[in-house]
This record gives sequence, C-alpha cells and structure tokens, in this order.
Amino acid sequence: MKRATATFDFDDDAPLLAVEDAVVTYSTSGGDLTAVDGISFSVDENEIFGLVGESGCGKSTVAQAILSLLPSNGRVASGSVRFRGIELTELSKRELDALRWEHFSLISQGAMNALNPVHRISNQIVEAIQAHRDVTTDDARERAAELFEVVGLDPDRMDDYPHQFSGGMKQRAYIAMSLALDPDLIIADEPTTALDVIVQDQILKRLKQLRDELGISVIIISHDISVIAETCNRLGVMYSGKLMEYGDLKEIFADPYNPYTLGLQNAFPTLRGDQSDLISVPGSPPDIADLPDGCRFLDRCPFATAECETEHPPLETVGEDHASACYHHDSIERMREEAKNRETWERTGSDTVPTGGIGDD
Amino acid sequence: MVNKRYVARRFALMLASLFIVITILFFLFRQVPGGPMSAFTNPRMSQAARQAVIEQYGLNDPLWRQYIRYMVNVAQLDFGQSFYYGSSVSALITDRFLNTMSLMLTAFTISYTVGTYLGAQLGWLRGTAKERVGMVVVLFVRSMPVFWTGMVILYVFGFQLDVFPIGGMRESTASYDTTTAKFLSTDFLYHLVLPVFTLSTYYTGLPLLLMRNNILEVLSESYIDTARAKGLTNRRVLFVHAARTAILPVVTAFAIAIGFAVGGQVLIEQVFSWPGLGREMVQASLRSDYPVAQGAFALLSAIVITMNFVADLAYTYLDPRVRLGES
Repeated sequence: MKRATATFDFDDDAPLLAVEDAVVTYSTSGGDLTAVDGISFSVDENEIFGLVGESGCGKSTVAQAILSLLPSNGRVASGSVRFRGIELTELSKRELDALRWEHFSLISQGAMNALNPVHRISNQIVEAIQAHRDVTTDDARERAAELFEVVGLDPDRMDDYPHQFSGGMKQRAYIAMSLALDPDLIIADEPTTALDVIVQDQILKRLKQLRDELGISVIIISHDISVIAETCNRLGVMYSGKLMEYGDLKEIFADPYNPYTLGLQNAFPTLRGDQSDLISVPGSPPDIADLPDGCRFLDRCPFATAECETEHPPLETVGEDHASACYHHDSIERMREEAKNRETWERTGSDTVPTGGIGDD
Repeated sequence: MVNKRYVARRFALMLASLFIVITILFFLFRQVPGGPMSAFTNPRMSQAARQAVIEQYGLNDPLWRQYIRYMVNVAQLDFGQSFYYGSSVSALITDRFLNTMSLMLTAFTISYTVGTYLGAQLGWLRGTAKERVGMVVVLFVRSMPVFWTGMVILYVFGFQLDVFPIGGMRESTASYDTTTAKFLSTDFLYHLVLPVFTLSTYYTGLPLLLMRNNILEVLSESYIDTARAKGLTNRRVLFVHAARTAILPVVTAFAIAIGFAVGGQVLIEQVFSWPGLGREMVQASLRSDYPVAQGAFALLSAIVITMNFVADLAYTYLDPRVRLGES
C-alpha cells in the first residue's frame, strides 16, 4: 500500500489545536451559505473539549473542517485551523494524509455506518496502520488485537464483519481503530448518539481513561449537554454557526453567562431532578439562508432588547477561562433567576422557524 | 462460508420456475392459430397421407399425453426434430447458442468492465467539468439505436475502409475440425470485431450509469469519511471502499444481462448476418417451426433463471451481510 508520509516542523509552544476565526461556507444554487461564522477555540494536551449545540448549529461542520472532510461544496472560507502550529487549510492532500490518523483521528458514529460493511474489522484496522507505517500485516494484526483488548473487546472476534457486532461493540471497535497509531487528538463526532445510556456511559468512561492513561486529547461533539458535562474539561456552546459561550466547564456550569446556555441547561434532566422541571426553549434556530441582523438567538431569547437587534454580540471575557456573547452580562443575576421559570421562556414569540442545518446529520 | 440452506432453497425454487416455464411454453404453442399441422402438412396432401403424418407425430393423442411425452423428452434434453431442417433441435440450438454466446459474452464482459470502471471514476468526479462532459458523451452514445450504430460501423469499416469483413462468422471457404478450433481461429476473431465493438459501445451505458449512481450514494456514507480520515489515497478510497460496495447491484445486472444475452441481439445478428439464436428464434416462429421455437425459448428461460440464481449466489459471496444469513 502507498504510505502517506511527510515531515512537519511542529511548533511545540503552540496549542495542540487552534481554530481561529474560522468561517465555513457551502456553495449552493441559492448562493453561499455560512454554516460556521467566525469561530475560535483551542484545545490543549491532555484535555477533553466539548462542542455542544442543537442540530444544525454547525458543530459537525467544525469537525469536518478540522479533518478536511467537508463535502465538495463546502470550504473554509477564511480563518485558520492549526495543529501544533501547522496550518491545516493550506496543506496538500499528501501532507494532510500524513497527518490524518497518525496525529489526529476520528471517532464517528461507529454504531451506525462508520465501519465499512463489506470488510472485516481487522482488515480495516490493518489498513489504517499500513497506510502510515511500514509494517507487515502480521505485526499490524498483532497491534489490532492489542487495541481490541484496550477497548475491552475479545481479540478473537476481530475478523468479524461489522454487522456481527452490536452497536456498542462497533463503537468500541471504531475507537480501537482510531487509537491504532497513538494519535495526539481524537475528534469524536456524536460518539454515543445511537447507543443506550449504559453503553454510552461505558464509552465515555473509556474516553476519559484514554485521556488519563495515554494523554490523548479529545474533542467531543454532541447535542447532549449531559454527555459534555460528564466528560469534558472545557467546552464551547454553539448556536447557529456562532460560539455563544466558551471556556472552562466548571466555570460555565457554575456561572453560566449566556441566555442560550441557561436554556440548554433547563432542557436536560438531572438524575435527581423532577421530570416536570424540564423547560424547553420554544422555537428553533434561524434558517442559515436567512439569518437575522442582530443576535442569532434574538427570536428565542426572553431577555432580548432593542440593542440585541443591531448585530450579533462579540465574545466577552467574563471569567478566568470563560467568555460569553451577550449584551446583557451585567444583568446576569436577574436572567439566571428568571430563567428558572417556565413563564419566562413562554413569553418569547414562539413562532417556529425551520432549521437551517447543513452537513450536520 | 456460504449458507447452505439458502443455496438449497434457491436451487429448488429455480427448478420449480423452470418446470412452470416449460409447461407454459408447451400449452402456449398449442394455442397458436394454425397449429403445428398446418406447418408441415400440405393442403394438397391426401387425407390418408395427412392422417399418417398426424399419427406418426402422435398428434391424435389427448393433450395431456402429448404433454407428458414432451416433458419426459425434455428431461432427457430431447427437444424433438425441427419441422424445417428435419434435424435434431438440440444440436441446432446448441450450435446457435454457442454462436450467440461467443458474441454476447465478449461484448458484455468488455462493456461491464469498462462501464464499471468509468462509472466509478465519473461518480468520483461529480460536479467537475470532466464529469459533465463525460455524462453528455455517455447519454449520447446510449441514445443511438444499436442497429443504426451497427450499420454506420459496417459502412465505415466494412465498406469504405474495407478493414473488416461485412458479416458472417467466418470465411465461407474455411472449414474447421473441432468446435474449439472454430472459435479460436483468427478468422473468427476477425469477424467478431465489428459486432462486438457495436454491442459493447451500446451496452457500456447501463453498467456505467448504474455504477456512477451507486458510487454517488456510497460516497455519502460515513465509512467513506472514515476511509478518507485514515489518510488513504483517493484511489484506495474509491476502489477499496466505495466501489466494493457500489458494485453489488452491477453484479446482479451483469448476471441478468447474460441471461437475456442468450436471446441474442436480433437486430445486431441481422445487421452482421450472425447465425445466432436470436435470428433463429424469429425465423422459427415465422416458419411455425414449433419444436425449434419451443426449444429455444426453453433454453432462454433456463439460462435467465440460472443466471438469476448465479447472481444471488454472487451476491452472497460479495456481501457478507447476506453471506452469513442473518435469519
């Protein structure tokens, strides 16, 4: 097999992954649509970073942009994505292939169709290894068996086809494959979405274990704030292509500053909470083909004022490692208090706007 | 490991279909106006002579007895005597069958190989200028009637340039000792070029468009993203990951196409004066040569049914999800 190799001049002082002001657009017959609109965040070594938001908010597009897996009509229109200082958007296909899987790999929704149904799982792992390393098939198979043990699967079953595995087993097998070359960073796009809660818990524990034992950093992309809460060190809350709140998980959960985060927190059950405590945010994200002039959350925000209609608020530092995009940070105490009441959320014009999700499925 | 019970069940089903088809054929031909007698008895024959012929062929027996006799003979691969040639139907249709298959198999193998490959490439190139040009060319070629292409090709290469023979399977003066020698001679291959070229051009369109559509569908699967994220070359993503799944329906189409190929391409056989089964069937029907027509139709159905069976088996081999039979 043709191996993907290239030499890189990594900057050891740079963060593991730095996304700066990234804009991702899709060209469609109706003109360019902006799915991700000027997002910045960084991920350090040994850290699990979470991106959370409703479907259609552009979080999967961010993952695809990092891995250069955008559909053919999508591109990073401006901004930068740097891995250890290397600008990923300017690499040739060959250079990019040398970095992929070797330095950053992917965990897709393995429970679904992320493993090729017509190839044996072992062969799919061996292929990933041999695409980068000059090793014999026997050695690569030995490595695959080792990886199966790491993720808690029986190595005797590695020659099975994906359909012979249950959803949870497929997800583990996929994780085994993504660990094949000891990557520095794993991008996990909805890693537990199709799994039941027990398996979901096992998978998330495994990811934390990988961070602690192997020092791997992980980006988890999920619509489920409880998944993020359980695993991440830091997070970004996305809405309609923008980061609404960003920073340290504990800070954000203890003192949320953004009305959207307040709404998200309300909408998820806690183990001890009463079911009736759940309050949903009426309406849906704006159509990305027809974005409002002001704050993206304007139509659904119970605290919106005339100021919010001017333009989308910039991210403002509100804590040590904590930023939020809102014009009303000074009245946050009042907003937190009122957000606990169902009536607060019901006072927004709840006329439903169709979701404008693209590339986020 | 192929699921044996599945194979056995499919095989039984195949035999049953074959039995039903031959039965239908038998009764169908007996309903045709005129009946077999008018074909080979002469109005000027005396009543006694006519009776003798009818007696000789057993046409006086009740229909069910004729049917049983026919089925017993068919089981022994005896399809009777041709009214027109006076010789054995089995020998006749075997000869025409080989002629047709040598032409059709070559054409189909070429068109499915080329079509699958080009279809995969076109699918990969989706949205590019190359793909748009490619699609126009494919649709253009596919829209040309095959007999017309055949005549144009004959006119250019046969009459004008005079580089290839204008028809037939071999030089009229040539004679060969064995069947193998007949089909391996350069003489035969020389005659094969133009009709095969015409047919392959025509038949490439189907597998090509089928493969392209399947590739487009497969390319949106998330395991393709996985393959790309692994840092594999485009070639490997396309051929090892996408084409391997996308080819499944093409395999079925190929097997079924082979089945229908037995009927021959009547138009092409006519244009290139190819002594194939298709032409023979048309002529047998026109001549009311029932034994030949019945035999040819039975062979045609047998091959179509068998190739469907083969297609299913190939599928179980190519797709592990079917192979291991999730019951």
